[in-house]
Amino acid sequence: MNDNNGYAVRTDKLTRRFGSFTAVDAIDLAVKPGEIFGFLGANGAGKTTAIRMLCGLLAPTEGEAWVDGLPISSKAEEVKRHIGYMSQKFSLYNDLHVIENLEFYGGVYGLDKAEIRSRSTELLARVGLEDKGRTMTVDLSLGYKQRLALGCSVIHRPNILFLDEPTSGVDPIARRQFWDLIYELADQGTTVFVTTHYMDEAEYCSRVSIMVAGHIEAMGAPEELKTKHDVPDMQQLFITLVNR
Amino acid sequence: MKAIFYLVQKEFRQIFRDHMMVRIIFLLPLLQLFIFGYAVNNDLKDVRISILDQDNSVESRHLADAFLNSSLFIPGPAAHSPADLDDLIYKGKTDITLWIPNDYSSSLSVGQEAQVGIAVDGKNSNLGGRAGGYAMAIIRQEGQRLRDARMLDNPLLRAKMKEIKTATRFFYNPELVSRTYMVPGIVVLVVTIISGLLTGMAVVRENEIGTLEQLMVTPITSLQLIAGKTIPFMILAFFELAFATVVAVLWFKIPIAGSLWLLTGSSLVYLVVTLGSGILASTVSRTQQQAMFTVWFFLVFGILMSGFFYPIENMPMAMQWLTYLNPLRYFLSIVRGLFLKGITLSDSLPDLIPMALLGIIIFGAAILRFRKTVA
Repeated sequence: MNDNNGYAVRTDKLTRRFGSFTAVDAIDLAVKPGEIFGFLGANGAGKTTAIRMLCGLLAPTEGEAWVDGLPISSKAEEVKRHIGYMSQKFSLYNDLHVIENLEFYGGVYGLDKAEIRSRSTELLARVGLEDKGRTMTVDLSLGYKQRLALGCSVIHRPNILFLDEPTSGVDPIARRQFWDLIYELADQGTTVFVTTHYMDEAEYCSRVSIMVAGHIEAMGAPEELKTKHDVPDMQQLFITLVNR
Repeated sequence: MKAIFYLVQKEFRQIFRDHMMVRIIFLLPLLQLFIFGYAVNNDLKDVRISILDQDNSVESRHLADAFLNSSLFIPGPAAHSPADLDDLIYKGKTDITLWIPNDYSSSLSVGQEAQVGIAVDGKNSNLGGRAGGYAMAIIRQEGQRLRDARMLDNPLLRAKMKEIKTATRFFYNPELVSRTYMVPGIVVLVVTIISGLLTGMAVVRENEIGTLEQLMVTPITSLQLIAGKTIPFMILAFFELAFATVVAVLWFKIPIAGSLWLLTGSSLVYLVVTLGSGILASTVSRTQQQAMFTVWFFLVFGILMSGFFYPIENMPMAMQWLTYLNPLRYFLSIVRGLFLKGITLSDSLPDLIPMALLGIIIFGAAILRFRKTVA
């Protein structure tokens, strides 16, 4: 277990089967603290299944993973206090005010009243919604909703943040602003584990892995991978690996 | 514990921001109370009777008058032949017919059996049966009167006969007003709908918008989540109970003979059943519509099999056995007993205990299913 010290996320032959179908096939990952780790792959490659296992939403069939040093098979509940999770559905309550969404998730994570208040105000400013606290969430633009969802997922200052296709469906400017927030979080020491379909976003990551049909086909820094496979950009690398 | 508070607070914020929901919660029960309280009327009164008196004698007129002088019957359209009578019933122009054939008084005078014909419109079997029974009673009474009259002429016979009189008196609902019977039933329905239907829909809504998954990555447990979902609707259900009871007592003037504490306590037990059913329905439903139809299906079954409209004793035996699985049956019996008879805790135990057992089974199953679906 000592080899997990120092890693934010590590997996050892992590496997998940659904009947005879193997969604995630013995993957090995090691993510260092403060990294922005890009978890890439085509639709149906098994990314979401892997993330759901790492977040304690799904039990692995075989293998093990350690999140913040905690084994997910036996400490899934404890893992949940150490992580933040934002899915592509960015689960906000549309019929609550912006600030009420933050307060609610703060309460659910067990923050006390004063903490919830100060942290909500702080995060509102951070995601650029300081004058929209009393706006009904349903009235926010998609870009703002995603930033609010990010705010909600880090209200309890998690060490590791899992983002599952956080920027799908918004314009390039909103995506850029969202990534600025991700950088800010990483600068403060949060490990960010992110899946995406946008290959320009993959370039922003410290390291990436590319998953194909349940396997990890490549892992490393974007520059390193591009040189190794002799391709000009991540887009090309992705297409090469997925079609191989 | 703190997490539950925030879950409950959030639920109330959502409920009161949804105008449709507010209407369902506050207006619907009132509407149901008034519709069922006034419109559903099983009271026997103003039953139209068409009489064809072909005998036209003192005796036959006496019989006809016995009907018309009773508070129950009012004269219906006249008929000129037995076929006319059938026609009136067929066309719904009258509720009951009495045919006195032309040999009525002559048969009586020679001491033979006299026959009259009664036909009742059975479309509403309950009303028809009761009106028919009432008509039979009038005829029996008339027969008795005739016998008595004859005995008066024969002192020897009169001395031998003992006078037999039957008197019927109804307890608990002396005027047999359906409202007195229906309104406590509505109180039960309102509580059932609010707690069962809304809980189920609230859980599924979270599943639909994806927040349920978000909640599952937080440290809250499925038990806390269930508490957070059921407590708001339990509070609302108690509010509805109080509201409906106040309307029943102050507006419909239905006295509560029993203790309010027993009403509150037995409601709490019943809510375990309905809230559990709501959660259970949510675990087999993907959309709010599915949850609604699932709850609705069992609700209709539960209402029909509870004795709300039709007495359980009138059901086929197999169906009667089935009603023992129906929690509504027990609660309805307790609430009606509380309102009308003033039953005590020990009187209510035969209903309270099976209801509590059903509650434990249903809520337990709900917890198990819920854990399985969300995890």
